Amino acid sequence: MKAVKGKYYFGGVHPRDGKILAKSAAIEALPAPEAVAISLSQSIGKPAVVIVETGKTVKAGEVIAKADGEISSDVFASISGTVTDIKDMLSANGQTEKYIFIQSNGKDETTFLPSLSDPSGEEIRERIKAAGIVGLGGAGFPTAVKLTPSSPVDTLIVNGAECEPYLTCDYRLMLEKTDEIARGAAYIAKALGAERIIIAIEKNKPDCVAKFEAYENIQPVVLPKKYPMGGEKQIIYSATGRKLGAGKLPAEVGVIVQNVATCFAVCEAVELGKPLYERVVTISGKAVKTPKNLLVKIGTSVKDIVNYCNGGEDGEKPLKIVKGGPMTGTALANYEVYTHKTDSGILLLSEKEAAADEPTPCINCGKCADVCPMHLMPMNTAFYSAAGDFDAALQYGQTAACIECGACEYICPAKRPLIQAIRKTKAYLKNKKEGK
Amino acid sequence: MTDNTIVVSTPPHVKSKRTTRSIMLDVLIALAPCAIAGIVFFGWQALVVELVAVAACVATEFVYFFILNKGFSKKCKDAGTVCRRFIKQFDFTSVITGLILALILPSTVKWYEVLIGSIFAIAVVKMLFGGTGKNLVNPAAAARVFMFISFAITTYTAANIPALKFESGVFTDATNLSWLFPAEGNPSTKISVLDLFLGTGVAGCIGETCKVAILFGYIYLSVRKVIKWWQPLAFIALFGFTAVLTSGFAFIATGGYIFDIELFLPHIFSGGVLFGAVFMFTDYTTSPKGIYGQILYYLLAAVLVAVLRYLTKLEVTSFVILIMNIIVPLIDKYLIRKPFGYKRVKKIKQNDTAPANAAANLIEPVDANGAAYVEKEGE
Repeated sequence: MKAVKGKYYFGGVHPRDGKILAKSAAIEALPAPEAVAISLSQSIGKPAVVIVETGKTVKAGEVIAKADGEISSDVFASISGTVTDIKDMLSANGQTEKYIFIQSNGKDETTFLPSLSDPSGEEIRERIKAAGIVGLGGAGFPTAVKLTPSSPVDTLIVNGAECEPYLTCDYRLMLEKTDEIARGAAYIAKALGAERIIIAIEKNKPDCVAKFEAYENIQPVVLPKKYPMGGEKQIIYSATGRKLGAGKLPAEVGVIVQNVATCFAVCEAVELGKPLYERVVTISGKAVKTPKNLLVKIGTSVKDIVNYCNGGEDGEKPLKIVKGGPMTGTALANYEVYTHKTDSGILLLSEKEAAADEPTPCINCGKCADVCPMHLMPMNTAFYSAAGDFDAALQYGQTAACIECGACEYICPAKRPLIQAIRKTKAYLKNKKEGK
Repeated sequence: MTDNTIVVSTPPHVKSKRTTRSIMLDVLIALAPCAIAGIVFFGWQALVVELVAVAACVATEFVYFFILNKGFSKKCKDAGTVCRRFIKQFDFTSVITGLILALILPSTVKWYEVLIGSIFAIAVVKMLFGGTGKNLVNPAAAARVFMFISFAITTYTAANIPALKFESGVFTDATNLSWLFPAEGNPSTKISVLDLFLGTGVAGCIGETCKVAILFGYIYLSVRKVIKWWQPLAFIALFGFTAVLTSGFAFIATGGYIFDIELFLPHIFSGGVLFGAVFMFTDYTTSPKGIYGQILYYLLAAVLVAVLRYLTKLEVTSFVILIMNIIVPLIDKYLIRKPFGYKRVKKIKQNDTAPANAAANLIEPVDANGAAYVEKEGE
């Protein structure tokens, strides 16, 4: 269908997008690493429960940990080999997670689920659950749970905005796997009973829009170029004009949002029966020799990935190593970190690109409020939380509605650590709700 | 930064290149034409005022910083380190304060008065409250009012204009307001709008007379997104209409129109309104943070300037700036922006069964625990 223009919303920033670095690098598969360490906390819910023992031989695609509860997902071995260890380790975000270590045996054996032909909605949902698919945009919410909405859904939005600077994995996926994404979106729409499929793509990717215009059942929407465009509330508003208030679920306005990478994973799970054990990751930044878009097995260490991109040599010293996008990702302290299902990028930012400025006094310029896509007042949150008055921070900063996109801190001329203040305030709110 | 450093921090990991210092430098660039125009119109006296004010402001800030960091105490071993720290944190705000103060003073002011005013602006109004970003009122406006009260005679007698011929001796106040509000015994002599606009042959303060220079500053600041373009514009427009109305009242007595649109341009080009609108009302620290607060702020300020001008026949912009600055914390406290998608919640409630709740929602956008949206949605 012919592409239409998305709605403009107030707020947002225009960071230098840096996509040019990895834009033209076609997706290539990273050779299976010697060893992987697969975290059991691959989704937003509880960690999965281990069902293998040390010394067991596993194949790629075999279940090694079962989901614990509704909002959890199965975890699969990503290479064939032997389980060498199961132990707790500190993960990138500072929490202790249980990891399963697998040593490769050199054979590339895989075990897939049976493929489905012309599946019903119920079968698709079952398959998505069995394949352990979670939202690959970064949230890690199990897709199967999203497909059982509380209220009727008429629209599926496929999120191809990729508003984060540097990341190009979704862009490459849309270019190279257009068919698969379209079919995956159709499967999801079938499972949902949604009549309309919208693919929302930012203005800076016209080639992707042109590709999706060829499909009769898909409506491409060209979104304005700004960050955060790919945020759930922002993309729903821009693509459909429906406003989603804070704390609400998209289904309440009749919309479900799925990332393009999720659609691709769904297509593979349904047609090939392939569980989610690898994904496309962008390795970029000026400190990487050859920025690439790699098909990476989940649990590969950042060291292996970076070594592959640098050709085994040491590249330029990065000032920051970031897992995820530069606006919302986690900064790493070293390379001994293992990838998760939700990691869409590994960025090695050079001294020129990365921000490491000392904060100066707030001048009350109000730029943070101007760019806030949720129309909050981050400066108030920062001011009151610094003084320890978190109740006032919540009231005057409206922090509960924050989506932590980082636009406020990006624009801040005084380089104030606003996100840190917001997270502190949110932690206080969480503790308060739990009655601590 | 050593070679092996890897920085770990909360996101975002890329930030805009704009810093406080670069914003303040932009303001200085915007102020430069006004300063130069002042020197052209008022001669070396203006230059002396500007230099004294800027030097005194920077020196005061330095001395204050030095004392605060124990640069004078016997324990301090290395005064050079304190100086380096001062330079590192210096963000040009005191230069701007000094320059703005100089530009809103007449050139006839004595140098020691400027010195005292500058020290007051930085030491009392800015630094005592905590320095950059913490001051309650605009330091330059406060210093001007301070000087007006302390040295009333010099600051508010006419600036003599040696560079240009100025024959009629009618305008004795700094802002040539008298002809806009004609009264008995005060013959209304008109100055052409062009003269007012260019600042030629007009009495006034150093930086306020040349409106072309102020316009350049406005355009530059708007393009560089230091100020929001609509703020001075809305202020000036509303001020102009209110002022025309107020002088209409004065003209009724002499048989004029109540709403004489011809007076619009003379009103906005007179005195320090334009300068205040571009450079002083827009001061970050002392203006509201939210968009609704800003609208209210400029609305109130415009009406207040126009009405007070009519009532006092004096240049009141600095006073209004002070008054508005003081009510800013109040505005910030009561006008909180509603989060994105908030209206939607309200509409649903009106259409549904609980209109009472919607009304309650209007008054209190969020309760203290911040969970209003989540909890109320189920009702």
